[in-house]
Amino acid sequence: MNTVAYCNPLVPVEWLGAHGLQPRWLRLPRRGPAGSIADPPAAAAPSVRGNLSVDGRRGVCPLAAAAVDAISAAAVDSAVVLTTCCDQMRYAACWLERRPSVPVFTLNVPSTWQTPASRGLYLAELQRLGRFLVSLGGRAPANEELARVIRRFERARAALLAARLGLSARAFAAGLLSVREDANFAAPQEAEPDAGLPLALVGGPVPEADYVLFDWIRHAGGRIVLDATEWGERTLPRAVDVSRMQREPLAALADAYFGSIPDVFRRPNTALYEYLGRELAARKVQGLILRRFLWCDLWHAEVAEFRAWSPVPVLDLDAADSEASSAGRTRGRIEAFLEMLR
Amino acid sequence: MSVPARRITLDEWDQRYAELLAAGLAEPWYGGPLCRHVEAGDRRLQKLRLDNSAAALRLWNFLLTEEQRLRRAREQGWRILGTLKDLGTIPVMAYALERVVAFYPDGAWWLPCIMENQTGLLELADQLGVDESFCPVRAMLGAFVGQAHFPLPDLLTCSVGATCDDVSAIAQRLVRLGHPILWWEMPHRRRPEAGEEVVTLPGGFAAPACQVAFVHAELERIRTALEEWTGQRLSDDRLRAGIRRANQVRTRLRELRRLGYTAEPCPLPALEMLVAEMLAIHFCSDQVEAIDVLEDLLAEVRRRVAARQGVLPAQAVRVYWVNPVADLRVMNLLEEVGGRVCGSEYLFCHALDPIPEDAAPLEALSRCALADPLVGSPADRAERICREAHEFAAQAVVVSRIPGASHCGLEGLVIADAVRTRLGLPVVEIEVPPITDALEPNLRTRLEALVETAG
Repeated sequence: MNTVAYCNPLVPVEWLGAHGLQPRWLRLPRRGPAGSIADPPAAAAPSVRGNLSVDGRRGVCPLAAAAVDAISAAAVDSAVVLTTCCDQMRYAACWLERRPSVPVFTLNVPSTWQTPASRGLYLAELQRLGRFLVSLGGRAPANEELARVIRRFERARAALLAARLGLSARAFAAGLLSVREDANFAAPQEAEPDAGLPLALVGGPVPEADYVLFDWIRHAGGRIVLDATEWGERTLPRAVDVSRMQREPLAALADAYFGSIPDVFRRPNTALYEYLGRELAARKVQGLILRRFLWCDLWHAEVAEFRAWSPVPVLDLDAADSEASSAGRTRGRIEAFLEMLR
Repeated sequence: MSVPARRITLDEWDQRYAELLAAGLAEPWYGGPLCRHVEAGDRRLQKLRLDNSAAALRLWNFLLTEEQRLRRAREQGWRILGTLKDLGTIPVMAYALERVVAFYPDGAWWLPCIMENQTGLLELADQLGVDESFCPVRAMLGAFVGQAHFPLPDLLTCSVGATCDDVSAIAQRLVRLGHPILWWEMPHRRRPEAGEEVVTLPGGFAAPACQVAFVHAELERIRTALEEWTGQRLSDDRLRAGIRRANQVRTRLRELRRLGYTAEPCPLPALEMLVAEMLAIHFCSDQVEAIDVLEDLLAEVRRRVAARQGVLPAQAVRVYWVNPVADLRVMNLLEEVGGRVCGSEYLFCHALDPIPEDAAPLEALSRCALADPLVGSPADRAERICREAHEFAAQAVVVSRIPGASHCGLEGLVIADAVRTRLGLPVVEIEVPPITDALEPNLRTRLEALVETAG
């Protein structure tokens, strides 16, 4: 089956799946201690023009660089869908267009959200994505088929959320990636909840290669009760309006995603703070860890805002590269933060 | 007595100013000797080489008195609009209204350079957690907090979407500091798909008609907001008149660029060309005066071209320059190592292209806004740069990175690759912080190497 890779939660997995294509969440390459790529992308040729890697280039967000490497290395995908949610990824998409063997689709996700025009633009972009998927060999889904796929993924997400309290933060994060690929998610049989002080993890994405972060928090005596990172629970869409499911499932899907996912790039980004205010209180969070990548202006600019706004103490963790590259420093900061909270 | 065209120091300008006065120089209200700006804090002038013409004197005085102009507008009861990011579109609408002045607070990014870091703006931004990993536009945040520079605008607009994250992130902080913003969406310009209706934008980019229509709707929203804010009707007729005035600026700049970038020897230094081009985006807060300032400059350049006078040695190596520099001194530096700027793309080429006058006014402005080089693919931008570099017979290209700017991480690679592949020209990428004194030997070496390679 053709696979379509993506790595932004504002790309509805249901829409990819309903076209008969296999959605694949991008797994980013593991990086070495000095920021080098431990598993060099197979497609990266030594010549300047052939080598798309931008790892280590000044000013390039490590996540965008890792995405470029991952996409360059992947030989299995029929296409890649990236978004305009941040400038770095928008430019990465343009950079990747130079590799014609893997078509790159850039989904324009508007930053503003209050106007019908913005919502309409997002819906139009999904329709354009649909035409792109058909051009790859996908089939345009009938309303009934799309509604069926939507229900399957909703059930998977509901199952994951129901299992959340019984899962470690690491297992929950892995589950979150699973339901962005596969509607047949089944919660792990062996529950292994974390213990410790309830914390929220907020910020940009935490790639699988950095899941060691969850372990460090756990070992320091913390328990992530709210994964509000970009690839975390925060960016799961709300349930689709059932009353619209049969008649206009794509429009309903668009509203569920565009209308409910709070994110830092939104202008204004008030929904992000509303979401966090609500969830921090509901989950009795005692400390907030904000984790962001170097050169990510959107999250970086909010750090001071979080400190002023948050009802609980905030720890700012900047990741210059992978967690492995700065393990001692990051672990030390987490441990000190938790000591302070006790 | 005719004085040869040349670049002079600020000290030399004192003498030159006295000569001009003695010769009967008539100046506008903002005129005067350039040295007074240094006394007011614009210390960087002392490190610059400036053109010695009366027209350049007027240009610099016009630029360096903008804050006074804005304060006068406030005192006279005019409304002040702060427009963020779009670089050249909303001001055309604003100046079509009466008793409204529009400016770009993001222009504060040059203050740390002009005032040689004596403003405290970057320190204020630091205190707010917006450190040097951001583009120097973070000075804007300090300017809003410190309130020692431009008067606070009565209304702020900001284009977001396919724009740089630095401005978007900092603008969001402004909102929480009590400065509400009217956001409007700028879609990522994409190439039209097969079967889609295509619109050719000013400057040559193509966009799907649906994207132009989207921007049109956003500008309608801005129009309504401006009407409510001012109590004036922003009719199509008014907009047409505003577009005609904006085109007067653009027409003069087009001619100035043609002469300034092609004549041999170089008739006007790169620095004054850069300042002149900047007038396109918001007319330095006085549209009518901006036209006169450019007219003066154009007359001077025409005179020099006719007399075969230049400010640089003949056969200086022709360099196409990409991105504005945070430190104006670097424009001098290129000339000191034997180069000249023969073309430029300072991020607002869309503000230099004539606004179509044969289309409905908001439709025309929508096309211009969507032609912004930063809202589309850097491959498109590279294409335009290659086209212009070829037209202007460039021998080399400099991609000047803006430190911390979200678009600078990758765009330079795309542009450099296109230039090398399509034109076979040498390219150098440099990074220019607000004050380059400590880096000057390195920058000089890189520019020297480029000029030697291309010459």
